[in-house]
Amino acid sequence: MKYTARMPETNVNVTPTSPLREFFVLLSGVIAIIVGIYLLLGLALNIIVPRIPMTFERKMAGPFINSMASVDRSSEKAQTVQKLLDVIQGRYAKLPYTFTVYLQESPRVNAVALPGGNIVVFSGLLEKVESENELAFILAHEMGHYVNRDHLKGLGRVLVFIMISAVLLGPDSSVGNLLAQSLNITEMAFSRNQETLADEFALNALHSTYGHVGGSADFFIKLSKEVNAGLGGHYFSTHPENLKRIAHLKNYSRIHGFAEKLLRNIPAIINKKRPA
Amino acid sequence: MNDLTIIITLIAIGYIAGTWAEKRHYRSIEKREREFLDLPTVSIKNVNIDDAKVKKAEIVYGGAVISVDYFKRILAGLRNIFGGAVKSYESLIDRARREALLRMKAMAPDATMIINVRIETSTIGRKSHKKSVACLEAFAYGTAIYLEE
Repeated sequence: MKYTARMPETNVNVTPTSPLREFFVLLSGVIAIIVGIYLLLGLALNIIVPRIPMTFERKMAGPFINSMASVDRSSEKAQTVQKLLDVIQGRYAKLPYTFTVYLQESPRVNAVALPGGNIVVFSGLLEKVESENELAFILAHEMGHYVNRDHLKGLGRVLVFIMISAVLLGPDSSVGNLLAQSLNITEMAFSRNQETLADEFALNALHSTYGHVGGSADFFIKLSKEVNAGLGGHYFSTHPENLKRIAHLKNYSRIHGFAEKLLRNIPAIINKKRPA
Repeated sequence: MNDLTIIITLIAIGYIAGTWAEKRHYRSIEKREREFLDLPTVSIKNVNIDDAKVKKAEIVYGGAVISVDYFKRILAGLRNIFGGAVKSYESLIDRARREALLRMKAMAPDATMIINVRIETSTIGRKSHKKSVACLEAFAYGTAIYLEE
């Protein structure tokens, strides 16, 4: 056999392939898996949450309240809000919760339902409200989240997110923090359906408390004006767009024959800013 | 935001620079392989040649270290999740081996043949903590034989 030296025609050791295509196929696979896990755990939450006993929920609440610096529950302002909440709780279907109001100094125009019946109201919200009925509606709305225990579901979803992010990106990854912030995860936790149900609960509570539902939409009317002013601010919010929400409130009131009557003045202490 | 930007930038740099370097390296490899085409390089241990004819026999060797680029590393990491052929590392190993062989040949350009050629590979720069970038080393060695004319 005569040996003739020549170059090999093809390189069998390197697969001719498009690495970019492979990269995107694999990446979308990973993302699909993550989304799948997130959705599955979300479904599991819906099954688990109604079975969490109240005693356990109260235990869960401890670290939340302790970790919140500068919460205030003893000032006259906080006591006034608490009293209003107690009136609503007393007049309308009682929930198996002892509600406690906490005030927090913050420009956020919002209130948050935490485990164990702890409702945090931000001072930015109190500066905006103009009538007792308006504030009562917001408080009743937060109470409405406890009916279906939305707050636990929301919390669970946040935990799932943090867990997935920690497994994939490491425990203190700034990418994970960034995602959490840009998704505004704590406020996104409630779905539109949950918000609508809480709204309906609040309307009923308002009607039982005052005999009419005046002031129920005031807050959202105010908010919708602000959203139009500040573009993108509420982009990620799952609160149904405020206009739709107002329409639903009016519609629900009409069907159930809830009237709108004169509003009660807000106690002066509520609007007062804390001395700087 | 910063972290994500850094990662995306690294992947882009890895892809662009890595692809460019690889193409250039392959061109150089093919050119030199053509130059050494007439130097037989075999893995057999014994050749049927009269000892008296052998003028000189000496060890020749060549090593090459090739690094993974960031894009390939991420791609291989994704591949680790699903399994299958890690295609992004194939060209890396191929380049390292061929480069090592070429350097070995360059040590004995006038030899009649190189026999008993072996290739070994090892990773270097890979520490126990995962963050360090792995490099691949290929090392080729053999016995260069010079015959009397």
